[in-house]
Amino acid sequence: MTEYVKFLVYRYRPEDGKKGVYADYDVPVKKGMTVLDGLIYIKENLDPTLSVRFSCRMAICGSCGMRVNGLEMLACHTQILGLRRKHIIVEPMRNFPLLRDLVTDMTPLFMKQKALKTWLIRRDELEQENPTIQYLQSEEELGKYLQFTYCIQCGLCYSACPVVSTFPAFLGPQSLMKVYRYFADSRDEVGRERVSFVDKFEGVWRCHFAGSCSAVCPKGVDPALAIQLLRREALK
Amino acid sequence: MLSQREGRTKVLQSLRVMLVPGRYGLERWSFVLQRISGVAVSLYFIAHILETGNFVGGITVWTVPEYSFAEAAHQKSVELLKNPVFDVGLAVIGFLVALHTFNGLRLILTHFGFLVGKPGRPEPFEQPASLNARQRALFWLSISLAVFALLYTLDALMGVFRV
Repeated sequence: MTEYVKFLVYRYRPEDGKKGVYADYDVPVKKGMTVLDGLIYIKENLDPTLSVRFSCRMAICGSCGMRVNGLEMLACHTQILGLRRKHIIVEPMRNFPLLRDLVTDMTPLFMKQKALKTWLIRRDELEQENPTIQYLQSEEELGKYLQFTYCIQCGLCYSACPVVSTFPAFLGPQSLMKVYRYFADSRDEVGRERVSFVDKFEGVWRCHFAGSCSAVCPKGVDPALAIQLLRREALK
Repeated sequence: MLSQREGRTKVLQSLRVMLVPGRYGLERWSFVLQRISGVAVSLYFIAHILETGNFVGGITVWTVPEYSFAEAAHQKSVELLKNPVFDVGLAVIGFLVALHTFNGLRLILTHFGFLVGKPGRPEPFEQPASLNARQRALFWLSISLAVFALLYTLDALMGVFRV
């Protein structure tokens, strides 16, 4: 017998000028089916007007971040039967402008990253563009930042952060983690100037270590750890 | 620009995110309790200063009144506050002060980069290094000390454990 799970999906249409509502759909599920599979089933069979963003379906691209039963998750990485619920509430991420249904505008996250120059910077730009040597690193040097390179910029940590919710100017866990990632990279030549980018009220000092960013990260990146290590550098 | 209604909704939404721990785990509970205790203790401190300020004539008086005035005002305060509601309120304040202090010490250590672990290679379903057992043990220790403060205050004010 086919098992059904009720999906309560947040629906929001900006052109209606009304608050969002929850629409319910009965989705037949089988072992191995993810929340994203359920949403695609709804879109293909029950309601084609549902807006949902996804791409790789294998937790690599970070497009399908959303709140499932009150917790930030990648829809493609969450098994429906693994949730052990007959009702699944699917909502868009918090702390981002909502565009439609489950689709949020990720601009705040990307703009903050850009402002903090979260990329590898060498003093000799010409040499960086046309390298003639390899930038060798030891295992120990790699270990200092490797964990933080696993970030897929899904925005789940940004959505879970209670500080961003009450203080949108806060740079957020993802951007601060990225700053530490490049600060700890021996190939980067910006050095302590990177710490000065975030040594301000809306930077590392606004983090209150609620730990929600690390709790929801699907890649085990642990932004809370990076922020505390960055704060230790700011105190030196 | 947000309308008044949208602004109100946004404020309520933000407060809900800040004050409802949800399913994020123990560290989120710690965050919420630290916030609530901080605000509550600050408000108590203001009320305490205003109340004890009455002994010297209140906030509008800049010269110290006679001793007999202070004695009468103190007596009046003691009579006003001598009831079980204020006693329980003080015990709750004792709980919140102890919790905010001990959990705050843990957070100060964390902010200096202690007890948060080191970066490593994350394995699937592994607990993040920063949310480790030492942090949780210290949080529960803070709760235990706060409960002790609550019971001690209740006993001191109301004699609940006296035979």
